[in-house]
Amino acid sequence: MSLFVASLGFGLVTAAVLAIASVGFTLQFAVTDVLNLAYAAIMIFGAFIAYAVNQAGQSVWLGLVVAVAACALISVLLNVGVYAPFQRRGTAPITMVIVSLGMTLIIEFGVQAVSGGTAVSYTMGNGPTLQAGGLNLTGVQVVIMVLAVLVMAAVHGLLRYTKLGKAMRATAANRSLARNCGIRASRVITATWAITGALCGLAGVVFAIDAGSFDATSTDIFLILILAAVFLGGPGQAYGAMLGALVIGLATEVSAVFIPADYKYVVAFVVLLVMLGVRPTGLLGAPA
Amino acid sequence: MKFTTLTAAAGAVVLAAGLAACGSSGGSASSGGSSGTGSGKLTIADVAPFSGADAALGPTYLASCYGATVTINKAGGVLGHTLTCKSVDTRGEPADAVPAVNQMFASTPSLALVIGCTSDEAASVVPIINSHKMAMFCMTGQSEFDHVHFPYFYRLVPPDLEESYAMVAIAQELHYKRIALAFGNDIGSQTFIQPAMAALKKAGITLTTNQTLDLSATTFRTEAEAIIQSHPDAIMTEALGSADPTLFSEIKQLNHGKMIPIIGTSAAISPAFFKSAAAAVGSSTFASDFHADNLVVESTGPAFGAFKTALLSQQGKVPGATGDFTTYLSAPGGVHLYDGINLAALAMIMSKSTSPSVYGPDIIKIGDGVPGATVCYSFASCASALKAGKSIRYEGPGGPTSFDSYHDSTGIFQIDTYSPSGTVNVVGNLTAAQLRVLS
Amino acid sequence: MNSYYTLNLIIYAAVDAMACLGLSQQFGVAGVTNFGFIIFQAAGGYAAAILALPGDHANGGFQSYIGGWNLPFPLPWIGAAVVGGVLALPFTFLVGRRLRGDFAAVGLLVTAVLLNLLVTNYRPVLNGDAGLSLIPAPFAAPGFSTTSSGYQWAFAAGAVVLTGAVLWLVRRITFAPYGRSLRAMRENDTVADSLGKNLLSLRTAMLVTGGAIAGLSGGILVSYISTWSPAAWGYAETVVLFAAVIIGGAGNHLGAVLGAILVPVGFEEITRFIPTSNNLPPNLVPSLEWVAIGLLIVIFLWVRPQGILPERKRFIRLPPSADGGARGPARSPGTAAVTAGHGQPAVVLEARDVVREFGGVRAVDGVSFSVRKGTLTGLIGPNGAGKSTLLAMLAGTLATTSGHVIYEGRDITGQPAFRRARGGLVRTFQLASEFKRLTVMENLLAAVTGNRGDSLRGAVLGRRYWRADEEAAIRRAAALLERFGLAELGNAYAGELSGGQRRLVEIMRALMAEPSMLLLDEPMAGVHPNLARRIGAELVALCAGGMTILMVEHELAIMDEFCDPVVVMAEGRVLAEGTMAQLRGRSEVVEAYLVG
Repeated sequence: MSLFVASLGFGLVTAAVLAIASVGFTLQFAVTDVLNLAYAAIMIFGAFIAYAVNQAGQSVWLGLVVAVAACALISVLLNVGVYAPFQRRGTAPITMVIVSLGMTLIIEFGVQAVSGGTAVSYTMGNGPTLQAGGLNLTGVQVVIMVLAVLVMAAVHGLLRYTKLGKAMRATAANRSLARNCGIRASRVITATWAITGALCGLAGVVFAIDAGSFDATSTDIFLILILAAVFLGGPGQAYGAMLGALVIGLATEVSAVFIPADYKYVVAFVVLLVMLGVRPTGLLGAPA
Repeated sequence: MKFTTLTAAAGAVVLAAGLAACGSSGGSASSGGSSGTGSGKLTIADVAPFSGADAALGPTYLASCYGATVTINKAGGVLGHTLTCKSVDTRGEPADAVPAVNQMFASTPSLALVIGCTSDEAASVVPIINSHKMAMFCMTGQSEFDHVHFPYFYRLVPPDLEESYAMVAIAQELHYKRIALAFGNDIGSQTFIQPAMAALKKAGITLTTNQTLDLSATTFRTEAEAIIQSHPDAIMTEALGSADPTLFSEIKQLNHGKMIPIIGTSAAISPAFFKSAAAAVGSSTFASDFHADNLVVESTGPAFGAFKTALLSQQGKVPGATGDFTTYLSAPGGVHLYDGINLAALAMIMSKSTSPSVYGPDIIKIGDGVPGATVCYSFASCASALKAGKSIRYEGPGGPTSFDSYHDSTGIFQIDTYSPSGTVNVVGNLTAAQLRVLS
Repeated sequence: MNSYYTLNLIIYAAVDAMACLGLSQQFGVAGVTNFGFIIFQAAGGYAAAILALPGDHANGGFQSYIGGWNLPFPLPWIGAAVVGGVLALPFTFLVGRRLRGDFAAVGLLVTAVLLNLLVTNYRPVLNGDAGLSLIPAPFAAPGFSTTSSGYQWAFAAGAVVLTGAVLWLVRRITFAPYGRSLRAMRENDTVADSLGKNLLSLRTAMLVTGGAIAGLSGGILVSYISTWSPAAWGYAETVVLFAAVIIGGAGNHLGAVLGAILVPVGFEEITRFIPTSNNLPPNLVPSLEWVAIGLLIVIFLWVRPQGILPERKRFIRLPPSADGGARGPARSPGTAAVTAGHGQPAVVLEARDVVREFGGVRAVDGVSFSVRKGTLTGLIGPNGAGKSTLLAMLAGTLATTSGHVIYEGRDITGQPAFRRARGGLVRTFQLASEFKRLTVMENLLAAVTGNRGDSLRGAVLGRRYWRADEEAAIRRAAALLERFGLAELGNAYAGELSGGQRRLVEIMRALMAEPSMLLLDEPMAGVHPNLARRIGAELVALCAGGMTILMVEHELAIMDEFCDPVVVMAEGRVLAEGTMAQLRGRSEVVEAYLVG
């Protein structure tokens, strides 16, 4: 029983990392209509930026700030330099996916070319351990969860109460109509990529912190978890992504208690395929 | 229709070109090397991963090749030839290894021996090398080679089964009563589990839990917690890449900062592994409670002395060899392939031929020794004994060999630990008898 | 020079070319983006392996797998193709449904990763991560050397011949009328659906065909390298094949072969000749290889998306103009107007309480009316009245939320668009919907239903089988082109025409389908008034010949001139019905439609 409770705790940590990542991914899709499969590659890029800062003797948390800025910049460049030109040309969504796969290869293996193939770890303390009622978490993990909650609150606040947030929702719903209402689509899109790029960088660093040991290909499977969370909640739905992250994060860790641990990601895969087959708009999206 | 003529023409052109190339090559399967003496180079090819996940292996074997060949050349070479080493990158995948090996045969007329062929690619390259009648010393414990006859295949490392028994024997020696298993889901690691479970039963040790780790995952917290909650005395594990270091760090975190003792496999005896594991839990913590089985490699004596001199002379000259060079002195593959090269070179001298079909049987004779043979510990001393007309038995830093009918020589095992600085220490030995009890 | 390396390259080239041909057929010709493609090659490889291997207790019993029946050649290769094809069937749930292309692609990619994980972890089935080894080559027998030069040459020749056969097959499929339907589906699947193409059946056929081809390629590869493991078929392999097809030229089969030679073979082998340097970290070259492949994909898609060898234009020779270009009315199906008992023509199409909701908003709010045979009925209304939505529901390209559609007395509410088209109910579209990368002639020919060559079986049976049907269709199309004055543009790409010309192509295409009833969605929009008049006259002539037309239009002048009766919609409901003269007198119509 206590293993089950402990796994719930771990699931929450995974869910926290996943939530930060999935919200960014789904907002990129909402506002630009691109499934940016290079998202995971940018995450690991951020993780390595923080590693470089860490290796230079600084704290990982400073590295996190640098990574967030770097990934925001890279994401904006990715959209402005690659996705937007293709979209302006009327490229079909499926071709955009292939383009994003190409970008994944460039970014991920570019990182690998520089960092090498061996696994690395951050030099950092883990803080005190929190143990209560079967849960078993380190201070850092608690920090990650708190960060995730803060990020969710910030995204909620952004979308509901700020002008930019409302413009994002309008552009996501109907771009031409939004433009007719005076919303500068290109500004909104650039701002969206900057914000979601920052989320991507943040997600990458906390992912690496949580993983303990990582290399350039560590986020490959994580992308599938993000897709599962996003499609469960509904592509383009920010709250859906949060819900999806919670479910998928818990499901993968808890399943490791009941089925052989090497199958724990199968749960996420199956959820994703079922959602695509049965209800592609997700739990929180309108039925097709 | 215009097209069909075109295809037919294209097809004919391809086939014709092929036949032309075939004709010019002389047709039959080329075998490496030439019989008889003469001057010139003989090439030893290191067929192993130089890139990909197991990129550390290729350079390890190359270091031994450099060490062995330089020493042999200094002692006069083989039948008037000097030896040189060549690396052939299989990229760690069977489908990529096949053209690599074929290209090797195409471009290496002076090939005399192949070393390397790890579990990553052995399945696809051994049949090819064998069909070219080229001798090979392979570093694969895959059970495939325990009972399949490849006349040109020689193996100085034990089957993976035996390593499982060795790990259990270590547990017995350290008086562990409860063991947890944590193995990765890749080829090499998967083959340990069944024999280990059977051996644990025979040894009367309780198996507390068996966790298989998905090597593409990045956290194993639930698995770690499951292991901790099963209260083992120690964990037997092999999960390459970042998996083991991640597992160790998570166990430490979840277990109130205390590591559980670890029993690893010979794959853990590598500078890269030590570096990752030490980074994950701290070098003194890791070193304090870690044991691994390893094939017996001598650390003193005339054989080791010769080996050490030979290898260290190549420090800094081996492409791709990174990390602490002295770990190559006890790396499992390196030692045994050094022995393999020496055995082959001596066999060539003994049979007066550089063709594997001729010198192959002499490898067995020199390795096992005939009654009354002189024991010698280095190429130089063995070569002069041969010149003096004696029959010899070579015993190198890998210990004595004993080939069975499949050309497998199972070694004997030792128990290795690390010091906090990463140096490997031998703390005990396991006898063949101990292992037989568990099989 | 040892020939084994050359042979190795030839065999790998043949296998990769075969796989790329399968992918080119699926993706390049039919537009089915199968990111799980590698699964089918893997399945074929495993199938050939377990068919050829002896039982798993052999060779010391070191591997565990299902099967192991030690079947002689060519059964393992046949089995490989069959398994590859059959495995495609469950995947149709991802591509058959109306799932966005990119979502379906993601699903397929994930499936590839999932299957790789399951095979790796569940060892007893296919020996897990270690894979299968010691797979016997064809005709392997004690005493018979499969490593002799002669055998290897024969093997290579066999692989090349099989690849040639696959090339022959896919070309046959693509150059038949069936291939045209596939390409139409690729260009615009909604329109193809509305012209009678059964998308699910087409996509399934392509998945199965491509799967079988991929499976065969896997079987050949496995027999050559004698081993097969999950490492050989990660999803990265699919990306390499896609890169090959994109670079070589999607939609051009020789381009696929070229791509296979350049990318999986050429690119991978070139790096073998790079001298290893002391100072380079060991991972650098393979990492840079992947970066290069990614760059090639993106650069090609930007600079030359059609690839090195683009899809070739299919020229169709028009027969010399018959009847001196007589511009009489088109022959329309059916006899003269059938009258019901009262002397009024029979009802052909009826809408009963049709409703369509979009997230709470009722675009169509309970519409009922009927269209009588031989009439050119107009449907007008202000913007947002729901006209196009209603038309889409009548045609079947949009589902009703509630209500019924009755056609020729039968309730077709649940019928998909392609069946309605085959039943004679054909629609056109408001926005440009020509098949851009098909010529004008091909656009017209694509609409023909009932061509013998428009099925997989017909395509494979070859030109002799479908030649007659095709030539008849070409004659009809040529006559239409003549009548509408576009004969000289017959072999131009439809995407290169002017707006007005595209409108005409749209209408001609709909006529090629030999409809009993046409649903036209703003056919005159953006068209020069003279041309609009000509189109109108044609439509009237068609109706005189027995065709029924329901036309949505914006221009009141057109309604005035051609349509009788006219239905007025506003805010999702029918406001009034009658002749234009009657309607102009109704105040509510005038109010609702002040734009008039």
